[in-house]
Amino acid sequence: MESASIAAHGHVDDHHHGPPEAHQSARIDRTILGILLFILSEVMLFGAFFAAYFFLRVVADPASWPPEGVELPVLIAGINTCILVSSSFTIHYALEAIKHNNHRGLKLGLTTTWLLGATFLFIQINEYIHIGFTPRDGAFGSIFFSLTGLHGAHVFVGLLLLTFANIRAYRGHFGPEQKDHLGVEVPGIYWHFVDIMWIIVFLAVYII
Amino acid sequence: MAVAIRQPGWYRGAIGLVLGAAFGFCLVVGLRLLSGLDAFQTEQTGYPQVVVPLITAPFGFLFGFGAFDYWFRWAAGKPTIPEDHSGHGATKWQDYFKFNTDHKVIGTQYVVTTLFFFLVGGLLALLMRAELAQPGTQIVAANTFNGLFSTHAVVMIFLFIIPVFAGLANYVLPLMIGAPDMAFPRLNALSFWLLPIAGLIFLGSFLAPGGSFDAGWTGYAPLSTGAPLGQSFFNIGVQFAGASSIATALNFLVTIITMRAPGMNLWRMPLLVWANLSTSLLVVGATPFVAGAQFMVFFDRILGMNFFNFLEGGDVISYQHIFWFYSHPAVYIMMLPGFGIISEIISTHARKPVFGYRLMALALIGIVVLSYSVWAHHMFVAGMFSWLRVPIMITTMLIAVPTGIKVFSWLGTLFYGKIHTYSTAMLFALAFIITFTVGGISGVMLGMIPIDIHVSDTYFVVAHIHFVLFGGSVFTIFAGIYHWFPKMTGRMYDERLGRIHFWGTLVGTWMTFIPMHWIGMDGMPRRVADYASQYGDWNLLISVSAFVLGAVQLIFLYNMIVSWRFGPKAGPNPWRANSIEWQVSSPPPVFNFDEIPRVVGGPYEYGTPGARHAIMGGEGEGAEVPETKPSTVTVPS
Ligand code: HEM
Ligand SMILES: [Cu+2]
Repeated sequence: MESASIAAHGHVDDHHHGPPEAHQSARIDRTILGILLFILSEVMLFGAFFAAYFFLRVVADPASWPPEGVELPVLIAGINTCILVSSSFTIHYALEAIKHNNHRGLKLGLTTTWLLGATFLFIQINEYIHIGFTPRDGAFGSIFFSLTGLHGAHVFVGLLLLTFANIRAYRGHFGPEQKDHLGVEVPGIYWHFVDIMWIIVFLAVYII
Repeated sequence: MAVAIRQPGWYRGAIGLVLGAAFGFCLVVGLRLLSGLDAFQTEQTGYPQVVVPLITAPFGFLFGFGAFDYWFRWAAGKPTIPEDHSGHGATKWQDYFKFNTDHKVIGTQYVVTTLFFFLVGGLLALLMRAELAQPGTQIVAANTFNGLFSTHAVVMIFLFIIPVFAGLANYVLPLMIGAPDMAFPRLNALSFWLLPIAGLIFLGSFLAPGGSFDAGWTGYAPLSTGAPLGQSFFNIGVQFAGASSIATALNFLVTIITMRAPGMNLWRMPLLVWANLSTSLLVVGATPFVAGAQFMVFFDRILGMNFFNFLEGGDVISYQHIFWFYSHPAVYIMMLPGFGIISEIISTHARKPVFGYRLMALALIGIVVLSYSVWAHHMFVAGMFSWLRVPIMITTMLIAVPTGIKVFSWLGTLFYGKIHTYSTAMLFALAFIITFTVGGISGVMLGMIPIDIHVSDTYFVVAHIHFVLFGGSVFTIFAGIYHWFPKMTGRMYDERLGRIHFWGTLVGTWMTFIPMHWIGMDGMPRRVADYASQYGDWNLLISVSAFVLGAVQLIFLYNMIVSWRFGPKAGPNPWRANSIEWQVSSPPPVFNFDEIPRVVGGPYEYGTPGARHAIMGGEGEGAEVPETKPSTVTVPS
């Protein structure tokens, strides 16, 4: 053992020999498990803000919620919801395509998803501008902008990941083996999460 | 020079830092001027021109330092450089100051950095004890004192206790489970480098106008939402420290789940691995809540939101609920890894299998689950829902059960064991059991509503937290450092100095923190710079003991530094332990193993002749070794 350590430290010519391959003790891929755990902690972050939402709306029990004179654009937000939800299907299509080595389908799916996500974000920013109240307007303003803003930030991150996936897809990088399309699958999982989270935010903030 | 600037490293890091700060500053000032506001805003809760650069500068530094280089190449669709392992391992001391991806280097970086912050936090504490030695005001004014106890607690919790465990586990855990490294080495390195950043932000708050943050480590709103600029440093620092611990926890979980050596099923994992599995579950699930709470305070302060502003429909108590939903699990984040360390040490030095190994593992999981249900015992007097009090009291009593199981199991392990106390690590482990139990008992007392109403916000709580955190966590940290010092450095520490350190620490801890129970029950409030003269004598004793306790730690530092350089060679397995990290050289080879070991039995089969935990690569390939059965009868060896 001692000699192994000396050999590795000294500049013997096998210096570049790498570590032994780790034993794979679970069926799930490391990166996928990693993103799932990351999503778990993201869910808890949303949980903190939903807890605040609960306190501001139920425990503090204001006279009216939303406050007098505030009209939320439910219709536009509803359309936006449809846009985001459909993007979950397009990313799924992209993943299925690459599993069957269909690069054209992959590019089509990824690009559509990206465009749909960007449209969502664009509409939401537009909504912020025209909504008629600000984060400073009472507890309602705080929690409205925090929840939707936190979600918007996640859409933004998701779009970044999709941008990377797009770049690599157009360079012809991915393949049908799982290890060759993790770069689509992982952003895809994240995108589904962003999507489901939006449905919850939408229901909590706009509907109930 | 030109090359040095393009290469990741300190030059590029410094440039990144400056550019990052400049970017944040120009962004704020530019946007303000564009919208027709004054360039600078200096309300005490504002200062965007300071706060935003405080966020962007660390990112600039990390970009420059090379934390994201690989990911950038990947993102840009470039072919990533085939792994040349150039960022791996350390051959000279400078390698410890690089973005190194070797878990052993990172572990050492963590331990050394956190010990530095332990020293800083300790000095802050001694400053407080100097002030408290006598009634009246001696050396610091009341609001400086508030800053001292806040920074003391924050540095100790977020920069010493939580990360030092991550550091120790970083070093030994991959070795223990027979993995060549952590699952995500670059993320691992990033987690480490976020830490000194958080530390500098916390300490940097002393330079802010209005002084350091001073609303306690709990940062309760609305005290914190109206506090001077320093509080924003706290809000931001917590985000960096929190991101660091979430990333590490995620890394541990993936490593433990997917990278165990063949044959290491769940019931053959050493308890340290179980402990870190449980801790990581707590970190991943709970830490986002403290991030959320600090975001909300930050938004209230900087953006003028109204989460905690009663007049605008905010809810003040909600801060405490969200904060404690993290911070009660956090106390177990600060304790469970220590439980793991103690199990390893007790079993090794009593030469016996851990008594009730499976129950030990299940107790850890039980603590994880229950931890999420007791947060409101910190709020009995806060004016929260009164119906929540009794249920929380019951769950709080319940959580003492798995904790008790662990204590009895250690005793059971010691029972009829062949106890060796030649190692300072074992001394700390034994002392831990007693001291921690005292802290656990005062915890159960505090969990009872009537007692808590009486002693809430008194020195009794200070006594409790220091018995569990100093007598608990810190003792396990010392035990762990002494235990694995030979593995990490390849050298032995000086046992005689270790003993002096041990006895000094033990006596110092008890003399310092036991009297706090009495004065607490007599009603001396915590978090005060001055107090009624009737408590003067006890406080003098406490202060003197605290200085003794502090002085003894210098012996520890001396011992560690000198032995690292000059100690006698340790050999691979000075404690005759079974787990895998002891079967490789000290320090271990760069890539841990030439071949992944094969696990053939439990980790604690001491006293069973011929029992093996693992077969190392190169040990007669193919030699059929019988699977050892877990022993029921134990013969002391
Ligand atoms: C048997 C297990 C335990 C029980 C039943 C328990 C119970 C309690 C209770 C009821 C309080 C609130 C006191 C008050 O503010 O009025 C408290 C405070 C505290 N406990 Fe524990 N505890 C236990 C173990 C631990 C452990 C293992 C740690 C850390 C290693 C810990 C760290 C703390 C800290 C830091 C506080 C003070 C928080 C603050 O207000 O600043 N406790 N404990
Ligand atoms: Cu607690």
